[in-house]
Amino acid sequence: MPSPPDPPETADLPPPTPEHVFREYAPRIYNLARRMLGNDADAEDVTQDVLVQVVRKLHTFRGESQLPTWLHRVTVNAALAHREKRANRQKREMATGDEALEAIAADPPTVGVRLPRPGAEAAPEQTVLAAEQRAVIERAIAKLPEGFREVYVLADVEGLPNAEIADMLDLSVAAVKSRLHRARERMRVLLAPHFEEALT
Amino acid sequence: MSCEELVGVLLDFVGGDLSPEQRAVIEQHLCGCPPCGQHVEEYRLTIRVTRLLPKADPLPPAFEARLRAALAAAERGE
Repeated sequence: MPSPPDPPETADLPPPTPEHVFREYAPRIYNLARRMLGNDADAEDVTQDVLVQVVRKLHTFRGESQLPTWLHRVTVNAALAHREKRANRQKREMATGDEALEAIAADPPTVGVRLPRPGAEAAPEQTVLAAEQRAVIERAIAKLPEGFREVYVLADVEGLPNAEIADMLDLSVAAVKSRLHRARERMRVLLAPHFEEALT
Repeated sequence: MSCEELVGVLLDFVGGDLSPEQRAVIEQHLCGCPPCGQHVEEYRLTIRVTRLLPKADPLPPAFEARLRAALAAAERGE
């Protein structure tokens, strides 16, 4: 994994403790990596790599105001590097992203699970997904091809603006928007059967 | 506006990034096209349910233990 970028310089405050970083950020790093990489084992590797590097650099930190943004970037970089290494090792990525996107449509949906229909103004904390509802959404995300999945996760799970995603992934904003739209369309195809009952 | 053109601007439409005039054209199309209305509704619901996913689920216990051990070793400079 490449070294993370240097932490940003901040005001003259004490650095966060390793325990604080662990409690506050390890679950977020792990969940972001798991969704980007599509499996638990790779997410564990990335989380450990990121946190070990962060702990080693903590003494250079003052305060934590910019720590979340920095950790986001470091985690994304680490996950992408891990994925590239995995792909090179396994040499198994034969399909292009487009072919993989098309293949998704033929995959039968999970039946029997209904998803909630949150309103436009509903705050996320007002609706809690049941385990099986979460599993439906997580499986759909895992089916998105690489290149589309990370854009979708960063935009629609993490809630980052397109410009920030473009900067993180070294893409143009137009490319981020194009990938995001296509990923949303595929997610819609995968999730629509679960909305069906209420729509008809 | 055709159905295909509508899908092409869906991201900007649901993101609120279109002018009032552009929105009006889309709204007009949606009024007379139930399939597109359903498409837009599903697209919005897809975004909203995805945003309900927790960002910080607890770590699996076995991994948490391994991670703590790795961080302790890193703190000691190992």
